[in-house]
Amino acid sequence: MIERYAVYGFETTHDALSAERALAKAGVPFTTIPTPKSLGELCGIALRVPIAVAPDAEGALEAAGLAWKARAEIDDRTPSGLSR
Amino acid sequence: MPHDGIIYLDHAATSWPKPPEVLEAIAYALGPAGGNPNRSAHRLALAAARLMLESRSTVASFFGVPDARDLLFVPGCTFGLNMALKGLLEPGDRAVVSSVEHNAVVRPLAVLEKAGVEVVRIPTDRSGRIDLDAAEALVAARPTKAVVCQHASNVTGAIQPIGDLADIAHDHGAILVVDGAQAAGHLKVDVTALGADVYVASGHKGLLGPQGIGVVYLAPVIEVRELVQGGSGGDSGSLTMPAARPDRYEAGTPPVPAIAGLGAAVEVLSREIDALVVQEQRLVQRLVAGLAAIDGVRVLGPAPGEERAPVASIVHASVEPDRLAYELDSRYGIAVRAGLHCAPAAHAAAGTLETGAVRFSIGRGVTEADVDLALEAVREVCSK
Repeated sequence: MIERYAVYGFETTHDALSAERALAKAGVPFTTIPTPKSLGELCGIALRVPIAVAPDAEGALEAAGLAWKARAEIDDRTPSGLSR
Repeated sequence: MPHDGIIYLDHAATSWPKPPEVLEAIAYALGPAGGNPNRSAHRLALAAARLMLESRSTVASFFGVPDARDLLFVPGCTFGLNMALKGLLEPGDRAVVSSVEHNAVVRPLAVLEKAGVEVVRIPTDRSGRIDLDAAEALVAARPTKAVVCQHASNVTGAIQPIGDLADIAHDHGAILVVDGAQAAGHLKVDVTALGADVYVASGHKGLLGPQGIGVVYLAPVIEVRELVQGGSGGDSGSLTMPAARPDRYEAGTPPVPAIAGLGAAVEVLSREIDALVVQEQRLVQRLVAGLAAIDGVRVLGPAPGEERAPVASIVHASVEPDRLAYELDSRYGIAVRAGLHCAPAAHAAAGTLETGAVRFSIGRGVTEADVDLALEAVREVCSK
């Protein structure tokens, strides 16, 4: 079974960790990971959530007034790669 | 009561002793959270970054800053004031500034004045408070980029009418820059309610944190050039600093232990500030009344009973300030500061530029007994 994820990149670490707080508060499962290079020139911390809960994650971020700068979808076959 | 045999009345220089929570937070930042924040994403780095987020949120909340991204960590109040003034003012601009500023404002403005910034000064009354009518006339006279003023004096304790000054500045399209070094932690400060566009504070004085950290509040609409460029952990391919706050203003590895210590200190303050302000006001009024009653002593600044920051500076008719400070320390274990207090402009206004003065400053942990012992010691030294 291949797991798919949505990854969110942020402009600053402050925003990334504020987003981490917002997801935790909303009960959305997430993992904090190094930002994949192909996500662009962002801060070094990104948040990965199972694709099934991506809408919940995005709702929680929007409710907290937090904007991600880049979003991508990846799977667990190629941890460092992205399939957009 | 005395700590380690010391009655510490030099809180305007730096607060001491620090709350134990500060030392614990610093130890945590150097140990389990000892990574480099904003760079890596391993557990040590994330712990450091989370400490920064918590501290920034705590300090922002303490100052009434709605968005913590507008609360910047800098190496100190002096750095923050340099950043604000040099990042705002360009040759041809005009700044209106109080005539009693600390050298942290006076010296960068002197550099800017040489470079072509016009600097005009607001007179003060005998107590050290600015003349608001004069301020309005000066700001209205010509287009003014910035109005610059301390919130409270480190020499006289005079508290400036910042809210009124904000109205004057904004009515004439100017930005208000406030040096909060002696107010933060001693007065309740809500930067939004005050109307300050830029508010700079020291972390190690009234805020009870360690040395090596200060904070700058920049209102969201205010554009200030960053003073320092370097690594920010993000947008690394660009030759310029990222535009987003706080990263734009925090180049280089941040001093996480100092930031964590400040966050812990402000957590303590957030619980205690209401009672602390009342206690410090009570003690400083007791101190001022007692000092004013000693033969030959003149207390600078507001009269006894008038509002002031918890600072009282004195001169004596025959005992020089340095001698009084030495006697208080060596004979009584009382720590005070003699001299010009890095604020010759304030001393010039008070008529003590030639002599300097002895400053007593109150903070967390000072008791009524400490004040009374200090008064008794001053009486003894000055009676010989």
